[in-house]
This record gives sequence, structure tokens and C-alpha cells, in this order.
Amino acid sequence: MGDESKNSGISRRQFLRRSAVTPLALALAGGALSSVYLRPADAGGFTLRPPGAVAGKRFLSACVRCGKCAQACPYGSIKLAGGEAGTGIGTPVITPRETPCYLCQDLPCVKACPSGALDNNLEDIENVRMGTAVIIDRESCLSIRGLRCEVCYRQCPLIDKAITLEVRHNTRTDEHTIMEPVVHKEKCVGCGICENSCVLPKPVIVVQRLVETQKDGYEF
Amino acid sequence: MGLTRRDFIKASAAAAAFAAVGAPMLRPEGAEAAEAGITWGKAPCRYCGVGCSVLVGVKDGKIVTTKGDPAGPVNKGLNCIKGYFLSKALYGKDRLTKPLIRKGNKMVEATWDEALDLIASKYRQAVSQHGPDSVAMYGSGQWTVQEGYVASKLMKGGIGTNNLEPNARLCMASAVVGFMNTFGSDEPMGCYDDLDLGDTYILWGANMAEAHPVLFSRLIDNKLKHPKVRLIDIATRKTRTTKMADEYIPMRPHGDLAALNGIIHVILRDKLYDESFIREHISFKRGKENAPYGLKDKEAFNETPADVKGLSFDEYKQLMKLFTPQWAESVSGIPAGKIEELARIYSDKSRKVNSLWTMGVNQHSRGVWVNNLIYNLHLLTGKICKPGENPLSLTGQPSACGTAREVGTFAHRLPADMVVMNEAHRKKTAGIWGIDPGKISPKVGLHTVELFRAIERDEIKCIWIQCTNPFQSLPNLSRVRKAAQARKAFIVVSDIYPTRTTELADVILPSASWVEKEGVYGNTERRTQQWFKMIDPPGEAKEDTWQLIQFARRMGLGHLFPYSEKGMHREIWEEYRKFTIGTGKDLAPYQAYTKVRGLRWPIKPDGSETRWRYTDLDDQNVKKGEGIKFYKAPGNKANVWFRPYEPPAESPDKAYPFWFSTGRLLEHWHTGTMTGRVPELKRAVPGATIELHPEDAKRLGIKNRDLVRITSRRGSVVLPAEINGRGTPEKGSVFAAFFDENRLINELCIDAFDPLSKEPDFKKCAVKVKKA
Repeated sequence: MGDESKNSGISRRQFLRRSAVTPLALALAGGALSSVYLRPADAGGFTLRPPGAVAGKRFLSACVRCGKCAQACPYGSIKLAGGEAGTGIGTPVITPRETPCYLCQDLPCVKACPSGALDNNLEDIENVRMGTAVIIDRESCLSIRGLRCEVCYRQCPLIDKAITLEVRHNTRTDEHTIMEPVVHKEKCVGCGICENSCVLPKPVIVVQRLVETQKDGYEF
Repeated sequence: MGLTRRDFIKASAAAAAFAAVGAPMLRPEGAEAAEAGITWGKAPCRYCGVGCSVLVGVKDGKIVTTKGDPAGPVNKGLNCIKGYFLSKALYGKDRLTKPLIRKGNKMVEATWDEALDLIASKYRQAVSQHGPDSVAMYGSGQWTVQEGYVASKLMKGGIGTNNLEPNARLCMASAVVGFMNTFGSDEPMGCYDDLDLGDTYILWGANMAEAHPVLFSRLIDNKLKHPKVRLIDIATRKTRTTKMADEYIPMRPHGDLAALNGIIHVILRDKLYDESFIREHISFKRGKENAPYGLKDKEAFNETPADVKGLSFDEYKQLMKLFTPQWAESVSGIPAGKIEELARIYSDKSRKVNSLWTMGVNQHSRGVWVNNLIYNLHLLTGKICKPGENPLSLTGQPSACGTAREVGTFAHRLPADMVVMNEAHRKKTAGIWGIDPGKISPKVGLHTVELFRAIERDEIKCIWIQCTNPFQSLPNLSRVRKAAQARKAFIVVSDIYPTRTTELADVILPSASWVEKEGVYGNTERRTQQWFKMIDPPGEAKEDTWQLIQFARRMGLGHLFPYSEKGMHREIWEEYRKFTIGTGKDLAPYQAYTKVRGLRWPIKPDGSETRWRYTDLDDQNVKKGEGIKFYKAPGNKANVWFRPYEPPAESPDKAYPFWFSTGRLLEHWHTGTMTGRVPELKRAVPGATIELHPEDAKRLGIKNRDLVRITSRRGSVVLPAEINGRGTPEKGSVFAAFFDENRLINELCIDAFDPLSKEPDFKKCAVKVKKA
């Protein structure tokens, strides 16, 4: 297992620049942004934002980089992006492998947002859609290989809704069951707890951009 | 493997012994050139009672990898997530590597000689001033067979006290007494094959999905293959097991006593029993009732033969008329109609019915009775000792069966079902041990709860704790921790890491773990598995057997352990094996176990194993044509016991309105001393939570992850709330796992225990719940 709390390597200059727009304590807390698990590579360039974040580029213009959402987060899950984020500098991001969103029932980050970048109409945590979890490496997933892992499933705050277990006969041993975690994107809030808890060195389940289901006439 | 046969044999003593026969079998699937230089050995998993087999890859004196053993019949190459990270349990940064002696508030490094001399002088002084019953040893169902055997011989045959207990008192004692007083011999008639061959599985308070992960995977596969298979979960909490069951029957805590009696009532009322089976194989008995709960110190209770009344079948039926389904409903909360239905399922001749249970039944202030009642169902319906049709008591620890039960490291037991109270048993034991029979005390030693209470009373002057963590795992924990903190008793602790127990020790001894030593474990299904030493323990750590024998020499008892340095484990085994020959619990010569992934006893004269006991289908102690024969029971008849309902020791009231229960999670093992050192498991589940029913949480204004204060009459703990997570207790109940060393939830638990098994009830006490 690698050491996960490596420093992000943010330079002093970046640090100072950032602290101009963020309270000092928050900037310090944000020091460990990138990790040995390169999120952009795993997540296809997707940046995980706090609950209620308005879509894509609109977020960058709506967010005033005040850091209040990060201040309101009781778990320190929300960090403010550093210089590597380019125009996104100072915007709130969540790195699940470090600290995922623990999905506070009263959504303090959303309530703290003064700009509407985090949508104040959001009230029910089950309606949060930060992204969706995807098993990106089925061949490595211990559960799919027949071991009794399923840690992501048992840790999922929407267990049996966002992640269910699908069981099938293990043809190799011929007497055991494969219990495969299956993500249901219509329920998954994208909190990243599964990504955080995956026991493998590179998480096989990660949060990615929520792709809208393509509609057609077949409604089952 | 890029490894010549010669290299392989040379590479490790472990491999050598079975390379001759077993090397091709040992070769793991897909062992490629990348693994060059790795020597493989076989071992059972270190954790639970399922007994999965693993392959251990060693290179340059270090375990570089482990994997499920494809040749292991229990797991066929699979493991749970604890087993996947098995080797990491040994490589935590804070392994104990040197003996430590308390100097005031500090633990100071010492040599083995200094530590052992000190321990021996304290034990000698206590024995000479206060007699042998002033000293004690507290061991483990995770001890190897050899460790348990040496401890038993040392304490019972050497020092002359029966103050020897295993932590298995906290988990399997009720199962043991249930087996003994029903069948006259400990451990199941059935085996894991019953999970493949049956079609109806009734779980009584067992969360197999988390506590017996790989076994549960096997059970569910039977369900996938055969649409007839039904899995019924009778429990007080919705679990991951419930999720995969066909039916969940919620039950009030302690309701099993009533529900089982109600089911039996219906079977008798409607004549659903197997009359010829009853005539041939069953005696009816009534024992002592109105038993206490052990809450007062030294509260004695025994069910002697003089207390037991024989009953006729008619008398038994008459007594059972009390327990109508309506009455059972009023006590258990299980609807009368459901009780009727369960009676029909249990007696359905077209169904192969199995009962499975663990701690919900055993950690119960009437746990022996519940064990008896489950057996009653199987005996009355004749659904026992048949392939695919058995009651199966699941164990929790890797060698609760092999060591604590078979070797007999309890305060009343001797090897192979013998007891210290029986003169003939003491004589046989003394003969094998080569000692005067008068040396073994006929007085039963202190059972676990009383043993730690005796520390408080200053009656135990010295106690040596090996391979377990009682100052986290005992009930009414603050009381026993305070007693230890008083520093009246001299406390020795052998372990591999600093724990909540080592912090209260006067001497800490660094131990070898798992494949850092040679050993034997015995699992739930009577499977005995052996492994060789594969790596050296870190620093000056030494295996527990060595520690005990070195201590024995200083006590002038070295002559009891005349084993050679090289062949010690084999020699201990062969000596122990003598106890089992001809008893129906026969074990095989050591050599046999070195070649295979375990054998289930009794071992037949041809060296093969036995899957089903007491039946001429498989057990060679029953002659062909005799059918089923309970040959260990008096008159070859098993007992059906009349066991009425008696209430729990403590129930919720106005001041403490909730039930509290505790147990395990899949990711962590027991008190977390090993799994807590595995970063992956620690990250997956960093700490314990308190599970609440969503409606209770709403009423109390508690949200998910809010901190909640749980308070009982004995202690108070703050935990984050978990609502709608992996487990949901029934309304009015809360649950927390006990692995978290930072949240000692056992401070809440009551130290009430079963009067017959002396096993504490960890599943029921009253608490109040408040947002912290």
C-alpha cells in the first residue's frame, strides 16, 4: 500500500496566491489535494464538486471562491483547488480517496454557499448528484473474483439502493457465490465513499461524471 | 515456478515435510516465473472458525504474498477481505519485540531471563503462600492445539490448579454444554457438506454473511443451484444475512426460548414427530429451573445428576402443553401462525432441515437451554445425523474447537471430553502425563467471569494472559479494568501488539504469531489443520509454547515437557493424540496432517476422515446396519430436555429503554488488534458505530453520523450513529461492534451469564440513548 497523504507539491507561490482568496487555515487544510491515485486519469478529467454544484462551466462562473462551503464541511472533505486547477483555482473540490463526502443530512455546505454555485433548492441528500460511481476495473475487483469483500457495498450510504449485490454461481469453485457490487446511477449520489473505502491500491470503483441515461421508447 | 524441486525442499522446513508427497498439490495455480524465489507453505487462515486454507509465499524470510488455497476444501482458493490481507496482520509497525517489565508507570525493556525469572518467582510465591488456586492462566480459542495442551498440562498437571480458562468461554461455552448434556460428546455430528446437501436452513441469531463470510458464500450457492432451498433468518436485527434470506422473522431479544418451545408444542400437539426415532434414540429429561444469572459474586449453580429427572414421553408432552403458539407470540413477538408454520417446516418429511446458530444463541443467559431446544427439534423430527440434515453450531474462533474444546482448556475440562470432577478421567490423564493422579485437582477452577472478579477480591495473585484481549472483550468492562488497575494481582500478557490488555500488564511478553511458529487449528466442522513455521518472529518474540515451557522449567516442572527442540510440535501432538484414541474423537498421526488441508475427526483406522458422526453411513464407531447410534450418550440415547422460559437478566425499562447488543463486522476480527493494523481494513471501517432503527433515530432527533451517547448501568460510550446502513436493529434496540479499541463498548455489557455454561450474555442489556 502506498502512502496516501503525500504532499501535493503546491509551491510557495501557489500557496500565497491561493491564500489571497481563501482563509489561511483552509488553505493549509487544502494542502494535500492531489494524491498518488491520479484522479484525473481515473475519472476522465472529472472534478468532483460539493453537493448541489451547478453543472460544468457554469459552476466556475457562479462560484465566488469564498471557501464558505469548505468551512462548513465538518469532515474537511471539501478542499479549495490550487494553482494546478487553472481558472478553477480556489473552487471547492472533493478528492474521495482522501476524504469523501459523508453526505450530511442537513447539507451545511449547500446552506453556506452565498452565490448559488451550490444549489440552495437541494434539500434531500438522496437527490444529490455529484457524479456516479463506476467499477472501472472488473478484472481486479475482489468481489467479482469471488472473494467476500463487498466493502464498497457495505459502506455505501445508500446500501441496497445505489449499490446492490448481484449474486451468481462461481463456476470455478462450483460451490461458492460471486457477490458482485452493481452501481445504479439513478440512485448513486456520487459521494465517493465507495472509492474511498475500496481496499485495493488503485480503487476499482471511482466516481465519474454522471452521464444522463439515453431515453427511447422502451420503458420497462 | 522457476524453482527446482531440490531448492524447494531446501528452502524451508515447512515445505520439506510434505514436499515428498504434497509438492505437486501445493503448487498454486498460475504460479509463474514472476514468483521465482518464493517458497510456498500451507496454513489455515488466522482469523475465524470457518477454517479457510491459505498458501503463504515466503521470500528472504518475509511473507511476500498469501492467497486462498485452491486445494482447500472449505474455500477452494477464496477468502474474505480479512483473509486477503492476512500477512499484513503480522507486519504492523508496533509489533512487540522485547519483553517488558513494569517499573512504576513505565514499561522497561528486559531480557527473557529477567522476565521469566520474575514471573516464576511471583507464581512460586503465590503458590507457596496462598496455594495453587491463587494463580491462573487465561488463554484462547486462537491458541494452537500445542499451546493449549502445554498450558493445560502445566496448570492442571504441574501447578495443580484448574484455574485455566480460554476466551472461548465468551463464545462457545453454551454450545459445549448443549452438546455434552444432549449427546454426551462435544462438537457437531454434521459438517459443511450439509450446507451443500440440504434444502432448508433456519438461522437462529446468526449473521453468517459477516461472521462466516466464505461459508455463507457456499450456503448461498446451494440456494442458487436449487430453487427448493429456503433460507429463513430469525433474528433481532436486519443484517446482510437477512438481505439474502428468503424470509426474515424478527424476534424480540431472548424470544428464542419461547419461540422454540412454541414450535415444539405444535410438533407434539399435531403429532408431527418421528415416533420410531424417538423410541430408539431418545430419553426425556427435566433439569433444574429458576436458575440465577450470576450477577452476585460466587453465586454457585450446578445441575448435578441428582437434579435431573427422567421423564416419559407422555410426561414430557404434558409439560409442553404450556407453551402454546399464542403464548410464544406474546413473549417472542413471532406471530403464532409463524410458529405453526415453522413447526411444519421442521417436520416436513420432504425437506432436509438444518439449523445454524452462533453467538445469538450462545451468548445468552439461558444459552445452554436454547442449544438444547434446537437439538430437541431435530431429535423429535429425526432430522439429525443424516447428510444434508443437521443442527450445526458455528464457531467463531479458528481453534475454539481444536484447542479450547478438544484439548479442554476450560476450568472443568481435560482432553477428549473428559472432566476434572471425574476420578477415572483424572486417572487416565495422569497416566498419559506421567504424574500422580492426586496432582490434578478435582475442584473445578474459576470460570472466566468469576476469575476476573477474583482479581478484584485479591484472591488471584498472578494471572497470565496469552493470545487474547480480555480488558477489551470482557463484559462489565469498567469493573474488571478497575480491578486490574488496582495492581493487586500480578498480570502477565503475551501478545504480538500493544493492546488494551497489555496496557494493564506487569510483564509483557512478545509472542510469535501464526506462521512464525508451527501449529494446529481445529475448525467448526471438526477439521484439524496443521502448518509449519515459515518465517522467524520479529526481534526477540517467541512462541507461546516456548514461553510456557521456559516458565515451567523455572517452576521445577520442566520434566513434564521432555520434548526435543526440533520435533516439539510433533511430539506434543503425538502425546495429546493418545487421549483421543478409541474415544470416537480419534485424531491422526501428525504426519497425516502435514500432507493435507485438514482432516475431520474421528479418523478411521484406514486414516480417512468422518463427515457425519453417529451414523453407520460414515462413522466407524457405529456398526453397519445399526443406523444412527448416539454412542457417546448414556444408553446410546440422546436427551430431549424440557427447558422452560425464564426472563433475561436485565430488560429495558423507563430509565434504560433500549436493548443493546454487540457482535462482529466482516472487516474486523474480534478486538481489532490485528485487522486494526491493516491499513486497508482500517480505512474501510475506521471505527465502531451505533446502529439505530430509523424511527427511533427520528424520534430522538439523531441523524446519520451524529455522535450519540449510549449509557447502561455499568458504563457510557459515545459513538457515531449509523442509520439504514449494513445492519438495522429492530425498533427499541441498538447495536455496536466490539472491535474498536478507542470505544470500549463492552463497558455497557452486563456480566450476567448462563448458569450452566457460565457464558456471559453480550447480546442483551438495557441502555439509554441520547444525542451527544
